[in-house]
Amino acid sequence: MKKFVLFIVIQIIVLQGIAAQSGGGDFLRSVGKIYSVVAVIAVIFIGIFIFLFRLDRKLTKLENHIKNE
Amino acid sequence: MVVKGWWWKFSGVIIFLYVIIGGLTIPTRSGITKSQPGSAQSGDSISMTVEGYNTHFLSAGLNRAWLKLDSLYAIKAKNVNATSEVDISITFDIPKIFPATENVQPLTLIIDNEIDGAFVQPNSLFVTLSDSSYSDKSQWINAEMKAFNKAKGIKFPYRNILNETIRNTFFHVALWFAMFILLIIGLYHAIQYLRTGNFDHDIQSSSFNRIAIMYGIFGLITGSIWAKFTWNTFWTTDVKLNMTAVAMLIYLAYLVLRGSSSDHDKRAKVSASYSIFAFLALIPLVFVIPRLTDSLHPGNGGNPALGGEDLDNTLRLFFYPSIVALILLGSWMANLLIRYERLKEKIFMK
Repeated sequence: MKKFVLFIVIQIIVLQGIAAQSGGGDFLRSVGKIYSVVAVIAVIFIGIFIFLFRLDRKLTKLENHIKNE
Repeated sequence: MVVKGWWWKFSGVIIFLYVIIGGLTIPTRSGITKSQPGSAQSGDSISMTVEGYNTHFLSAGLNRAWLKLDSLYAIKAKNVNATSEVDISITFDIPKIFPATENVQPLTLIIDNEIDGAFVQPNSLFVTLSDSSYSDKSQWINAEMKAFNKAKGIKFPYRNILNETIRNTFFHVALWFAMFILLIIGLYHAIQYLRTGNFDHDIQSSSFNRIAIMYGIFGLITGSIWAKFTWNTFWTTDVKLNMTAVAMLIYLAYLVLRGSSSDHDKRAKVSASYSIFAFLALIPLVFVIPRLTDSLHPGNGGNPALGGEDLDNTLRLFFYPSIVALILLGSWMANLLIRYERLKEKIFMK
């Protein structure tokens, strides 16, 4: 469950950052809204990163467990 | 190679790279973003200033323009004058008498040249009839709307409002398709687990389901971002959105269910049967109910299946590979989870 909370919090931060620096989404609407496509790709990328990060952490725990045995 | 099954994992990466590069660099076709004025009286002679998108008005040899009333009647522009590649001014003599009797008539603007092909702006001009007492079509028959050009090269379709976000077909829509395939794989393993009792099937089923749920959450968030810039809100009461959200909640409950029980066999059995139930709930929620009503989604309404007017062959060139790539990448991620769970089981079950 932590994953989703973390993911949603990060998304909100990213979106607010985008909205703040662009004056309410004007930047994302420019050039035929191409930057909203970029934002979508970035979300997928960030999501996969979070997945890898969490898996890495789990594997480290497992490794430590083996080491301590 | 040290990476097991490297060929399908790497082909997933390469196909997705092809989708990102090709899907972002191929231009869209030409379109009309703005036109002034928006309304006129019948009998006026008006000069419309039009702003194009991805157009080549100056480079094109011959720009032609029409105002179209319906499938039968149109008038041709008197004078077309390009001031830049994207700006053009068009003069129309709007006839006094229309072949219709309603007071206000919406006209569609059509522009055509040999580089950009023909493109339209629907409801571009609203004409108020000064005399709507009788209809006459004699001034509307000399439009000679024929010999339209085709746009040159491979280009994505231009849609008003959607503009460049039509490229989200390769990411947002493909995510949902890939999610569904991954859920089917998860369902297969859940059934196999219930049939054979082999615990490895439970590991595979839960891993594929987890990646599919992750894709579903990506799908909701990417759709939400896109909606902000096309529908101007993060969430609407669109049936498709709400039903998908319900389906995702059912699947989130699957994760909660798996986390809630520490008994190994019980957890596997309950979650396998629950995932069958969740999949059966998903089908009406995502495929049946949204089709019974209209949706704000482009290309929806009726029974679009894998088509409709909005998915043309240039989009298919990237849409289908994108689904394949996301399935391969998802299977790779599920594969990592499966191997992790197997290792964990081996260590803790000793």
